[in-house]
Amino acid sequence: QLVSALHNLTRHVVYCGLTRAEDILSLFPENFHQNLKNLLTKIILENISAWRNEAQASQISLPRLVDMDWRVDIKTSSDSIIRMAVPTCLLQLKIQEDAALCGNNPVVSALTVELSKETLDTMLEGLGRIRDQLSAVANK
Amino acid sequence: MGLLNFTRDPVPEAVSGDMHNLNQLSAQQFSALTEVLFRFLTEPKEVERFLAQLSDFASMNKISLGPLKNIVKSILLVPNGALKRNLSSEQVKADFIALGLSEEKASYFAEQWKVNSPTLTRLAVGQTLMINQLIDMEWKFGVTAGSSELEKVGSIFLQLKLVIKKGSQLENVYVELTLPQFYSFLHEMERVKTSLESFS
Repeated sequence: QLVSALHNLTRHVVYCGLTRAEDILSLFPENFHQNLKNLLTKIILENISAWRNEAQASQISLPRLVDMDWRVDIKTSSDSIIRMAVPTCLLQLKIQEDAALCGNNPVVSALTVELSKETLDTMLEGLGRIRDQLSAVANK
Repeated sequence: MGLLNFTRDPVPEAVSGDMHNLNQLSAQQFSALTEVLFRFLTEPKEVERFLAQLSDFASMNKISLGPLKNIVKSILLVPNGALKRNLSSEQVKADFIALGLSEEKASYFAEQWKVNSPTLTRLAVGQTLMINQLIDMEWKFGVTAGSSELEKVGSIFLQLKLVIKKGSQLENVYVELTLPQFYSFLHEMERVKTSLESFS
């Protein structure tokens, strides 16, 4: 019962985003033990940002990118052309499935994708547009 | 027959007979036939159109379709081999002459080859094997307003949808990135572009 009550208290504080000692103190009933109240508040305050970050990290979401690597290869030969020198990009994305579904054992899968130069140029155009939109939002 | 550029294998016997028949065509007829052939080579998926055009050519010039198809098969051996081996137009011309085609017609074909080879090469490169080719990318970004854990959040996320060709099927992959990840991703992709350009 005690653990459950503590849990509810901390969840409430994190949920409401309380950051000031007064706000937390005001949650306790009138006749609550003074020192215990102060101690609990102090501990909660110390942990609050860590708890918020963790809550955000374990939010439901689409699969998240955790890492990315790339490599440029030169294709020198194929069944359609015996001699060529065509550069191509291999991009590996490490993707973690929804943290909320996986609990403590996140499933990370690696996806390797090949991009031709043309595809990369188009992709960069798209990414540039995203960057412009982000700056526009930031500057509002 | 001397060593040919476009192939190392022996050429089928029928080819010299077909070249002889080709030589009987007038310059205009040969030019019209060449045009039909190159239109097919640059758009290899248009098989029906190609066959229809061949059939029209046959009836307009009073040639039977069967022999015409054999002639076309023989002619096509050269550009197909030439594409694989990056042959120059001089080499293509030399091969046709070696096969028995008249110098005039061989020159003409080689000239058309020169004009069309950038397109044909690009097509051949495009047909080269690609692993999990990225076909398309869509995105949206927004703000997480709240969640069951946190009443007010206000964090920006970027969602990417990548369309990937796996074998002959398309697969959609959804990925979410934070803003710092996005900027880092953009930076890396720009480095890839620089790298690709230095090798082109």
